[in-house]
Amino acid sequence: MPTPPAMPVLDADSARFIGGGVSIIVSSRNAANVPELVRAQGCRVSRDRSRVQLFVQAAQAQALFDDLRRNGRIAVVFTSPSTHRSLQFKGDDASIAQARPADAARVAAYREAMVVELGGIGISEAMARALLAGDDDTLSVVAFTPAAAFVQTPGPDAGRPLEPVP
Amino acid sequence: MNLDAIRECLDGSLPGVMATCAPDGTPNVAYLSQIEYLDGDHLALSFQFFNKTRQNILANPQARLLLIHPQTAAMYRLSLHYLRTETEGPLFERMRAKLAGIASHIGMGGVFRLKGSDVYRVQAIEQVPGRPLPPAPPRRNLLAAARHGAQRLAAAADLESLLEAMLASLREDFEVRHAMVLLLDGGGRKLFTLASCGYEQSGIGSEIPLGEGVIGVAAREGTPIRIAHMTSEYAYGRAIREAVAQGGEADRLETEIPPPGLAESRSQLAVPIGAGRRLLGVLYVESPQDLRFGYDDEDALVTLAAQLGLAINLFRDAAESAAEPAPAPERRRRVAGPPVTVRHYAENDSVFFGDDYLIKGVAGAILWMLLREHEAGRSSFANRELRLDPRIRLPDISDNLEARLILLRRRLLERGACVRIEKTGRGRFRLCVERPLQLVDVPAG
Repeated sequence: MPTPPAMPVLDADSARFIGGGVSIIVSSRNAANVPELVRAQGCRVSRDRSRVQLFVQAAQAQALFDDLRRNGRIAVVFTSPSTHRSLQFKGDDASIAQARPADAARVAAYREAMVVELGGIGISEAMARALLAGDDDTLSVVAFTPAAAFVQTPGPDAGRPLEPVP
Repeated sequence: MNLDAIRECLDGSLPGVMATCAPDGTPNVAYLSQIEYLDGDHLALSFQFFNKTRQNILANPQARLLLIHPQTAAMYRLSLHYLRTETEGPLFERMRAKLAGIASHIGMGGVFRLKGSDVYRVQAIEQVPGRPLPPAPPRRNLLAAARHGAQRLAAAADLESLLEAMLASLREDFEVRHAMVLLLDGGGRKLFTLASCGYEQSGIGSEIPLGEGVIGVAAREGTPIRIAHMTSEYAYGRAIREAVAQGGEADRLETEIPPPGLAESRSQLAVPIGAGRRLLGVLYVESPQDLRFGYDDEDALVTLAAQLGLAINLFRDAAESAAEPAPAPERRRRVAGPPVTVRHYAENDSVFFGDDYLIKGVAGAILWMLLREHEAGRSSFANRELRLDPRIRLPDISDNLEARLILLRRRLLERGACVRIEKTGRGRFRLCVERPLQLVDVPAG
């Protein structure tokens, strides 16, 4: 496993961005390099910004979990539905854990933020809630260390490495 | 599960997301700006940038797609296998036109440029466990609407009533308020508007070059084009309307009829009308609403356009093989009032009543020939003789003369000209002149 970078890949502004009302898509791949993906339901950034936790419905992510348990390779995209601002983080140490009771509140707050955000682009509240529906007791946590970050906002610049602002 | 069952997901307002994997095993996620349904087992994605996704699928053709149903929020995961990239032809043009709509909708008008259409085979579709909303009942049953429309078309007795039936079906069976039917000019380089509904100005007689705008591209590529959001790049008609509105230099003779069209069109669907392999024209509908036309609307209108095309051809042949006897020559009414000067410019066969532009091209040549004959004492005519008349110079043996006459009749009516064309039987008509005319022929300079 590579040494964690001295400075976290995630700067303060990006940490704020990914912790808000943004769509989160998590991706993995299996031994044959076949990719897999799932929508997450919120995230938490560690105080030192070195670790990111993603909340995922276990029922939706069995293949993803199998992949991550085997090889830890992960890519996550965070996108603002209204501005299309988008960041992608990659890592190779993803692990899976059961959510703690406190995480449910975090997910609930995320759903509220997304209802507002999606409402801004004309998605009804019922749609937004259905999209993010799930059970608190099957909530899982995918945690990883972002080792690389990329600007993913649509356009010719998409894919450019993010230069963290210390 | 087949892609047919979930194709609404392909153009919902929540974009699809794709995961790919580099040869070194690094996964990658990318949002898709455009997904095009090809058939139950294939779809195409827009290739706009040489990005990570592009590099990955060229090296490793396996991809996964996550889609959201626009009404129920149900999520679907698709396993895809990259097959090929198309850089020209109907699929590419269809996607390019749509992409212009999408790009201008999200303020990326100058940024998005289609490099290619990446074609994928759909290997599997899986519904992601969740709690989607129950599907809402459809606004209306489009299959029933198509059936009713087909019955209307089948009941039409001639080209004119066929066009009326088509527009009535759009209005009443499909609740489409703004529509037009354009036919290809015999020379195959432009389309002319033959019928329309829902516009302040009918625009009958207006022309659109092949390849221009949504309508012109649909015609050139022979493929339906459906745009869910407003687009400026393909708003050819609007540009012309504005140019016409601002033009009008006093010394210039205006011979453009502005094409009809909504100033704030937000959904557009152009469907080629064909007969066999030949393109006859375009059926076009639009709406001030975003996302007004879906895949099912497109299917329904493509189906009706096929019937429309066959019927147009049938009536074209019928009108000219009509064997009805010519009506007995009637005594011409004496007309009174100050004479109207009618000018014909041989250069483009444009005809002006006083200072009012009426029509040009083939229809202009027909009108001029009729007026000359009328001056010589005739008022009854047969379609067939027009085809043979050397003064008219039809561009093509298959040119739809009946359509030209409908255009001319409607244009005369709309402009309140003192000349009318009245149908007297199948393939026959009479020229009615209500004022004394003074004909002036201006030879080509």
